[in-house]
Amino acid sequence: MKVIGLLILSATMFFVAPVYSGESGGLEIMQQVDARDDGDDLIQKMKQRLIDRRGNVREREMISFRKDYAKDSKSITYFLAPSNVRDTALLTWDYDGIAKDDDQWLYLPALKKVRRISSSDRGDYFMGTDFTFEDIKQTPELEDYNWTLIGSEVLDGHNVWVVEGEPKTDGLKKNLGYSNARYYIRKDINMYIRVDFWDRKGKELKRLVSEEIKQIDGVWTAMRGTMTNIQSGHRTELSFSEHRYNTGLTDRTFSERMLKRGYRAK
Amino acid sequence: MKKLFNWVLTHPKSVLLVLVLATVLAVSQMRHIYIETDMDAMLPKHSDAYINKQVLEERFGSTDLVIVGIINDEKDGVYNTASLKLIQELTDWLADQPHFRTLALNDLLSLATIKDIRGSDAGLDVEKFMEDVPETQAQIDHLKQRMHEFGVYEDVIVSADGSGTIFAVRPMPDSRHQYAEIYDLMKAKVAELEARGGSERFYISGRPVIEGVFGVYMPAEMKRMQPIVMALLLVLLFLSFRTPRGVLLPIAVVLMAEIWTLGTMAALGAPIYTITTMLPILILAIGIADAVHFLSRERLLAHHQAYAHHKERMVEVMHELWKPMLMTTVTTGVGFLSMLASDLPPIRDFGMFAAIGIIYALLITMLLLPAALMLLPEKEKHAERKPLFSAYVEWLGVTVLKHPKRIMAFFGILLAVSVFGAMKLDVNASLVDQFKPGDPLRQADEMLNEHFSGTTSLDVMIDTGRENGLLEPEFLQHLIDLQDEIEKDPMVGDSSSIAEFLQTMNQALHADDPAWNRVPETSDMAAQYLLLYSFSGAPDDFETFMTGDYRQAHIRINMKTDETKVVAALLGRMQDKTDNWFPEDMGYKVEWAGTGFTVHRLSEMIIDGQIASLATSILAIFLLCWWMFKRLLIAAIAMIPVSLAVTVNYGMMGNIGIPLDIATALTGAMALGIGVDFAIHYLHRYHEESVAGNSYEDSVINTNRSVGHAILFNTFVVVGGFLVLLTAALYPQMKLGALIAATMVICYLATCYLFPVLLGLGKEKIRV
Repeated sequence: MKVIGLLILSATMFFVAPVYSGESGGLEIMQQVDARDDGDDLIQKMKQRLIDRRGNVREREMISFRKDYAKDSKSITYFLAPSNVRDTALLTWDYDGIAKDDDQWLYLPALKKVRRISSSDRGDYFMGTDFTFEDIKQTPELEDYNWTLIGSEVLDGHNVWVVEGEPKTDGLKKNLGYSNARYYIRKDINMYIRVDFWDRKGKELKRLVSEEIKQIDGVWTAMRGTMTNIQSGHRTELSFSEHRYNTGLTDRTFSERMLKRGYRAK
Repeated sequence: MKKLFNWVLTHPKSVLLVLVLATVLAVSQMRHIYIETDMDAMLPKHSDAYINKQVLEERFGSTDLVIVGIINDEKDGVYNTASLKLIQELTDWLADQPHFRTLALNDLLSLATIKDIRGSDAGLDVEKFMEDVPETQAQIDHLKQRMHEFGVYEDVIVSADGSGTIFAVRPMPDSRHQYAEIYDLMKAKVAELEARGGSERFYISGRPVIEGVFGVYMPAEMKRMQPIVMALLLVLLFLSFRTPRGVLLPIAVVLMAEIWTLGTMAALGAPIYTITTMLPILILAIGIADAVHFLSRERLLAHHQAYAHHKERMVEVMHELWKPMLMTTVTTGVGFLSMLASDLPPIRDFGMFAAIGIIYALLITMLLLPAALMLLPEKEKHAERKPLFSAYVEWLGVTVLKHPKRIMAFFGILLAVSVFGAMKLDVNASLVDQFKPGDPLRQADEMLNEHFSGTTSLDVMIDTGRENGLLEPEFLQHLIDLQDEIEKDPMVGDSSSIAEFLQTMNQALHADDPAWNRVPETSDMAAQYLLLYSFSGAPDDFETFMTGDYRQAHIRINMKTDETKVVAALLGRMQDKTDNWFPEDMGYKVEWAGTGFTVHRLSEMIIDGQIASLATSILAIFLLCWWMFKRLLIAAIAMIPVSLAVTVNYGMMGNIGIPLDIATALTGAMALGIGVDFAIHYLHRYHEESVAGNSYEDSVINTNRSVGHAILFNTFVVVGGFLVLLTAALYPQMKLGALIAATMVICYLATCYLFPVLLGLGKEKIRV
């Protein structure tokens, strides 16, 4: 769920909804968003730009591999730049549901050792970005929210549903760091193109915008995603490239051995 | 001039109308008045302390945090389930308050938010020390042990003996106007928690709170002191005139002058600083003199029925008085204007608006009194009454002639003691010391400093000049070295930097072996540690210690005091170290900031400004006297009482141990400007007497008879007015009030006792 979600953030989320008609509630819409085909595996390059409120930019480049195992998935990500973290690599085994914590290992070339990473809260920020572990999931854990369909509107020329999700309990709100989130979901492809988040004090906190949505290998993919923290002025821009879906990645790709070996461009 | 006076007297209604309109205009401006409590705003904008503070906030976030301390004197201190629950509750409450920015770890530090870094079987664990409130003794012991082993937060968040813990929370940006509200909010919450009867005691401090309290105290003090000073004036005026108009007219003059001054301040956008809160009192006490002179003279002439017509008499009064009044106003004004030699905006504003205020007072006296008297019905002839203190004044004239040696000896000893004291004069711009020792806020602050690392911030910003520069092992080691040096100072409670965290991570990644508690060996390693950390901790956990490009580092220092001496000594010692470890020619740039540094720069400017303004005022007033009396010798003599009084002022400060601060720094120039009036009045009269052919003895006695009363009245008003400041809630006001009052007494004594003796020196006596 975790890292993989970020890597394929909105890049992989849909299949064109099968014949859909009639009224539906917020939960049904979110379930459709959740039930999209995002390919069985994926290779892509990703560039992260962390921009603070003064406009200082920190950039990272990485390449990632992902493969689905039924509802679980595995992924491996190699850092390509900056040079001081080059060859650092992250392996994630991502289990469906909250019963079992995800496994994560990081290989640090300076130490030449693989380190296990302790699991985090869903509301914790991820890898210095403005995304929390919850945000980088393809869709949030649907059963943790009360979903309400607010209505329909036109956003950037697309018909969208506006669905609001409120965490069900105060404990969840605290854990997630949100009191509310509003999803703008394109009706034609069941993909959200904007999300607004409110913090626990009820103030607008963050905004996620997905752009340059196109079909690659038959899968609708957003080439860019920007998460802006409205309160701190910090933002994270992700851009994706060189997508290759369904190339038939082997299980070996997601092993500790490959983590240490590092990425070798073909 | 006479034409002008005539015009005033023939158009009294128009004059009054103009005065009223001007007053209405001033009142309409007064809603723009605002109070400035930001200590950094007391620095000129070009000061490095001011600039660096802005840079610090821009790069690393504000370090001005609200601090709440919990102390539990029972055996286990705060390490018990009840206290820890309370800590969790207060943390959650703080996080929910809209007044605080609680985005990142460093926005809200408490035992319930800080994170532990430690090595685990295969990796690095970053988790809160207190994910849940520990219930069992074993869990509590574990928490205690982790806190001690991690070390970074020991004494900072939890006191070393475990007796107390603090919360540090960041107010929303640009919420300065809400600081007082925040303090009230915190007090109410703390009262609620204390009411539950636990053994925890709460203390609230931190710079936003201190400044918030200033913001509350200042207008409250102005409102409170105004009626006291007015009552004092009413009593003195009544004793002098015993008629409604004799009481009310001067009061109207000074009130109007006060309103005009405040209106002018508002219109010019000048804020109210702690010291400018004293302006109204000052204008009331000093401005009253002109009106009193005017009415006394008018009454004397009326009594003697020297002029048949009301109007002629008034013209004569105005004609007689405008020159001496202008002169005394100018000399007093010059004393105040000399404060413009200071770089500090509050002192500059104080000087400028005090000068403007007394000019207004003179102007209003010359317009309002004649116009009002023209409109009021002529009084019947007053019964001749001996002024109060006549016996004293008579006695004085004779006595001074009898004991010249004793008087000389008294002032000689006074001078010697004062010079001795003045050598010990100290400077202290401490913010906390502006509160009285008994003030709850100051006590809370002392308590927090006693138990924890300190409430005063001092910050070092080091620019490595290149991206990723702070990751270099050598640089990190020098950060540690500098921290070690800084922490050698007993008044430094703690310091922290990114280097400390990297050391801890290094150890955690080497099986928690303390031997690895050192900075990472390579720059790449440091970068990878930080990346690793970002998977477990929040990215902004370190935003207060370094910039995102890893170019600039910040060492945060907590000091237990903001006394100038301590900070200055520390800064002096660190200069060599930073020059050595972070040389400029290698691209490094070291900048200091924070409350400690602001205090340091304030102190320097107080001293520099003090010397400059004192020199300016002495010279300017001397030149004025020279011009007035046309003789160098007389001008020199005129300067003696005030110079003596000013020396005694500094001597008292040195001997009693009152340091120069932003308020007491005003005393010198102020005393000089006010006190020289006594000398001018005295010498003026003495001159008249000797010109009239009187002997030395007769001249002294007559002078005393004639101006002795007026000088005494002035002394009473000024001394009384400033003594009202003794009731002030803020220390600087109190000290300033006592000092000026004492200095004015000395000035009076030197004028009325020492002058005659000096004038009697030499066989020929000095001819004036």
